[in-house]
Amino acid sequence: MHSNALNTNQIMRQVIYALALGIGAAYTFFGWGVILQIVLAVVTAIVVEFSFLSLRKLPVKPAISDGSAVLSAVLLAISIPSIAPWWIIVVGTAFAIIFGKQLYGGLGNNPFNPAMLGYAFLLVSYPLQMTTWASEFLNLSQAINAIFNLTSVDALSGATQLDEVKTQLALGKVINELEVHSISQAWINAGFLLGGLYLIARKVITWHIPAAFIAGIVFVSSMLYLIDHQIYLPMQNHLMLGATMLGAFFIATDPVSASTTPKGRLIYGFLIGVLVVVIRVFGSYPDGVAFAVLLMNITVPLIDYYTQPKVFGK
Amino acid sequence: MLNQSFNGGIVIPNPHPVETVEIILAPLPDKVVLPLQQRIGDEASPCVKVGDKVLTGQVIAKTQDHFCVPIHATISGKVVSIDDQIIPHKSGLKSKCITIESDGKDQWEEHKGCGSDFLHCDQATMIEYIQSSGIVGLGGAGFPAHAKLEGIQDCHTLIVNGTECEPGIMCDDALMQHHPREVIRGVEILLHICGAQRAIIAVEDDKQEALNSLLMYCHNDRISIEQIPTKYTSGAEKLLVKALLDIEIPSGGFAIDTGVVCQNVATTKAIFDAVVDNKPLVSRIVTVTGSGVESPNNYEVRLGSSFEHIVSMSNPNTNQHAVRMGGMMMGVDVETTNTPICKITNCIFVNNLEERASTQECIRCGRCNQACPVDLLPQQLYWYAKSENTDKAMDYNLADCIECRCCDYVCPSHIPLAEYFSFAKALHRKTTEDQYRTDIARERFEFREYRLERNKRERAEMMAAKKEELKKKMANDKAQKDKIAAAMARVNKTKKASDDA
Repeated sequence: MHSNALNTNQIMRQVIYALALGIGAAYTFFGWGVILQIVLAVVTAIVVEFSFLSLRKLPVKPAISDGSAVLSAVLLAISIPSIAPWWIIVVGTAFAIIFGKQLYGGLGNNPFNPAMLGYAFLLVSYPLQMTTWASEFLNLSQAINAIFNLTSVDALSGATQLDEVKTQLALGKVINELEVHSISQAWINAGFLLGGLYLIARKVITWHIPAAFIAGIVFVSSMLYLIDHQIYLPMQNHLMLGATMLGAFFIATDPVSASTTPKGRLIYGFLIGVLVVVIRVFGSYPDGVAFAVLLMNITVPLIDYYTQPKVFGK
Repeated sequence: MLNQSFNGGIVIPNPHPVETVEIILAPLPDKVVLPLQQRIGDEASPCVKVGDKVLTGQVIAKTQDHFCVPIHATISGKVVSIDDQIIPHKSGLKSKCITIESDGKDQWEEHKGCGSDFLHCDQATMIEYIQSSGIVGLGGAGFPAHAKLEGIQDCHTLIVNGTECEPGIMCDDALMQHHPREVIRGVEILLHICGAQRAIIAVEDDKQEALNSLLMYCHNDRISIEQIPTKYTSGAEKLLVKALLDIEIPSGGFAIDTGVVCQNVATTKAIFDAVVDNKPLVSRIVTVTGSGVESPNNYEVRLGSSFEHIVSMSNPNTNQHAVRMGGMMMGVDVETTNTPICKITNCIFVNNLEERASTQECIRCGRCNQACPVDLLPQQLYWYAKSENTDKAMDYNLADCIECRCCDYVCPSHIPLAEYFSFAKALHRKTTEDQYRTDIARERFEFREYRLERNKRERAEMMAAKKEELKKKMANDKAQKDKIAAAMARVNKTKKASDDA
């Protein structure tokens, strides 16, 4: 006897569908590279998952069809630059699936978000490739050339806005002198925001983590902006740049590695938001979503233990 | 409508609704099988032999335990066997039963109660009648009714539970619609016994006809009838008290601790029969429903009849069936319809056999903690129950789980969570028992060691003391000997001297 609500496979599928808007926006600005990265990631994920489960002598079909590996792969693929060489996404996805998930015992047992573990691994190991973004729309052949290293991509690439701000600030400029707006990033964030709202409406995720995440970002960025608006970006930039909305609605909400109590989810989301801004502003990496999520993943057992709801009659 | 409901719970529509709720009187069965083991307490010992003629309502088995109720013959006829038979229990084990073959006459044994003017009877007599008539909680728990009513000190509210929150069951609904007078009179009896100021009959808001018929017969201003939202687990005693009175019964406590007595409506009607006529409980209303029957209905049927006896009246289809006693949430699966109906059989689900949805890993989505009516974290409990870490599971309040299966119902991975929890509870009980035993054994061993050590020490001390004494004595002796020797020497000396002289 079960409810007619979504089952686990359907939940994973819904999350993948909800990513479509954000992916569409990314495609509009960066072109075919986005799609190719996703294809490469998904193929890698399935191959790795298949071989690993075979090695562990476990049934392959239920695990592949639950969609969790595909979801991790897609999340990683849209987090990395669309023109990163092919082996980046292959290595990253394999790392995410093997070290992020299977070595812990498969779906449900991983303490870390697999996609973010893969991302952090790539960013630390290959910082150059991981920070070179497409600067214009690439058609299919351009994208293939770029990803498979057939031609140089220098002409088509650049740093992200957050990276650029960091570099300029380091050169002694102040915020007012910089043009901090990025149409592409704003649209992509808007796409993920809408997709996220869809997930809440479909009851795939609850509002707690995204709301607390955004509150954390708003809180710290406004405090910093009040302290010195010459060197700290205003709140709206933090909200609409980088991986903010993707992180708030799709990454921090990964149920397996997130806190599960209602109160715990608020704390977890809020602290990720705080860490994201802190890492962006004071850290040496341009964006902080991956590290913030991974750091907070570690604290989940503690948060869960101390935020148990009051049991009836106690 | 009440708003102080509990958290969680789930709304499940009745999967097999009926147009009108009726009660069909099932024909007398050819034979009845009456288990000697009741839901709670010791196994009763038979007081009839094979071959004896028995009358309807005659006591055929009883126990010494005052907490338990006697077992009555539910038809008149001949005892044909006293042996092991299948009983409706999830273990599927057999248990000792008395089988009576009907003589078709249904001759009753004489019985006389307080009569319709029952208020002149004292409480003790009423409770005595309730016990001797074999009344237990008919809602499904089977807790002896008299045990809840004895020794009540301060009871401010009596709650009569007509919620029947499990979807599909409608036997209490039928009872309230067709026997409202007995229910109301039964509530008056209970008010008299427990001395409460007021009584609340709780009815779910999807049972409008039941409410109307109760209202028609209720002319007592101490009795109110309240509707509560239709939500699964609202019928659980603690949650019902919370919903009606906004009182939270403490974890591990009972309703009476907060001055509340709860009885089910069907039990209340049975109490009416028991007090007014001292008429033993020989039949009950049972719902037959499920995807495997064409016409779900309620039957008033003699206890001990087989499930098949009334299932056959509901036009079962020819598919393979899964049979379940009780509700679809908290009921127990039984092997065959050849199982006897007992006092707690409120419903028989006959479902077409379906493949169980395959189980997947827990993704900690937390839907279960939203559904949990007692605010547990089933996903955490599952983690610890699965790894048999029962101490940690107890930390997460495993003991407060009421096994209502709301979490199972909403789980997107179809994990049978409540089964894990039931298992973990049993495991915890066993390990604590084992722990207790090993503790006792260890203490015994340690005491023995201590005792042996002490004996040894005492013995050594005693020996030492004795040795010392002996030494002293020897020393004394030596001094004595020396003295003697000296004296002897002196004597010899004088002797010698005198000799010389």
